[in-house]
Amino acid sequence: MISTYGWKEDFPIFKRKINGKNIVYLDSTATTQKPKKVIDAIVDYYENYNANVHRSVYKLADDATEIYEKSRVKIADFIGSKGEEIIFTRNTTESLNLLSYSLEETINKGERILITSMEHHSNILPWMRLEERGVKLDYVNFDADGLLDLEDLKAKLKKETKIVSVTHQSNVLGTINPISEIGKMAKENGSTFIVDAAQSVPHMPFRIKEEMDFVAFSGHKMLGPMGIGVLYGKYDLLDRMPPFNRGGEMIKDVDFHNVVFEDPPIKFEAGTPNVEGAVGLAAAVDYLKAIGMENVRTHEKHLTSMTLEKLDEMKNVIYYGPRDPEKRGGVIAFNVKNEAEIKRKLEKRNIKVDGLYHSHDIATFLDDRNVYVRSGHHCAEPLMRTLGLTGTARASYYVYNGDEDVTAFLNSLGEINVQRRSHG
Amino acid sequence: MRSTYNDEVMDRYENPVKYGKMEKYDLKIEDVSTTCGDKIALFIRLNQGKIEDIRWEGEGCILSVVSTDMFCEDAVGKNIESFKELDEVKYIESFPVKISPGRINCVLLPLRAVKRGMKEK
Repeated sequence: MISTYGWKEDFPIFKRKINGKNIVYLDSTATTQKPKKVIDAIVDYYENYNANVHRSVYKLADDATEIYEKSRVKIADFIGSKGEEIIFTRNTTESLNLLSYSLEETINKGERILITSMEHHSNILPWMRLEERGVKLDYVNFDADGLLDLEDLKAKLKKETKIVSVTHQSNVLGTINPISEIGKMAKENGSTFIVDAAQSVPHMPFRIKEEMDFVAFSGHKMLGPMGIGVLYGKYDLLDRMPPFNRGGEMIKDVDFHNVVFEDPPIKFEAGTPNVEGAVGLAAAVDYLKAIGMENVRTHEKHLTSMTLEKLDEMKNVIYYGPRDPEKRGGVIAFNVKNEAEIKRKLEKRNIKVDGLYHSHDIATFLDDRNVYVRSGHHCAEPLMRTLGLTGTARASYYVYNGDEDVTAFLNSLGEINVQRRSHG
Repeated sequence: MRSTYNDEVMDRYENPVKYGKMEKYDLKIEDVSTTCGDKIALFIRLNQGKIEDIRWEGEGCILSVVSTDMFCEDAVGKNIESFKELDEVKYIESFPVKISPGRINCVLLPLRAVKRGMKEK
């Protein structure tokens, strides 16, 4: 039986007490906790089916291959693609690096790649790498509400723009980008369109659309195990692309100086793959399907609305990204104003008064209260620079968070204000 | 409840005793952590290797500010060479509150700055 969301019984980690108290886990944007079903599926695989896949001809190897390929199809169904269009990688970062290497021959000196200022480093650095080859990297700006500036996108989408790669949902601002609209603009321009879906596939209904050439996401951000990621690619594109890694499994025929590669997706899966990861991710997909992705999204919207309403009342808290929960996911980056620092800086007549607590201090303060939030730059330094910050704290929600977590978080955050007064 | 930000830490943070520029100094050591945004400058006046006075300026998280201010206060009268030998674990243990592993770099900021500054001297 799968519980309704907001229940923690399905997730063994929530049995753990730290300092005698329950933990309030608000860092699902970084990684999610795992339901018992996922853990059991991995154990079951190793106890009953383990053998290397796509190699041997005996029964156990057939079973392992079957369970691995069934996992692939399950994940394909979840996003509305075909099994042969799903490549297993380690994570979103590896999926995007695969594209950077396997697409590099399609882009020449003087041509351009368009990304946005709200990308995670994993959708920046693989493209920055191509600047060494004389390719120019352009960034679409976002506005004061954290929404992507589509006029700026239009202006920067040039004839020479060969690749457009955009995050579906920002891991800091929470902004949900109009990915289909952007994709259509990219396709009209003749560009390859890539979606970083690391923060969307886990949190909302997601279907592959015609305008999406490639889509990358990670298993561990959607209740699955670490070390398994996905790259969706249109079959005819995958078929034309050279492999990323070379070695075991990915060949049809090899002689001393020649090789014929396997067809996609195996062409891109050199070496023994992460079968346990695929099995675990398939179990995670089953779990999410039982809840329903529409319900996941509705639940997170509810928790986000509840949080933003309270944060609006807290005069010392600043949060970033769109105010409208329809336009954002359940990830809230914030800072807390620091009166002592403002006072000291004003005394020094230093005009650069930001007067914020350091995000690590907010996170440690909350950690003392068993509330676990992320702090720092969230692997999005260009985004932080755009906001004029060195970091933020960040709370994020998922299926196992309930109203009680929001309350615990906001009560603890409220204590930053009164902690000194309570000691006299 | 563990309380990292107890009165001792917060009093020191809000009323640092060694904060502010020094007019005449023999050694200035600057340290920047771009990922954290911490920036400190240490101003040291020496007399035959002994620290006659030391002050600091800059910004950082509460733990790095408190650690830097306490470090400066303790350092007065000590031989600057003695910091070369100062053990990081011992230094962390001397901090007034227990620090989680993720925050150790914040507390070590002044010690590492001085060690590095002396190497470059």
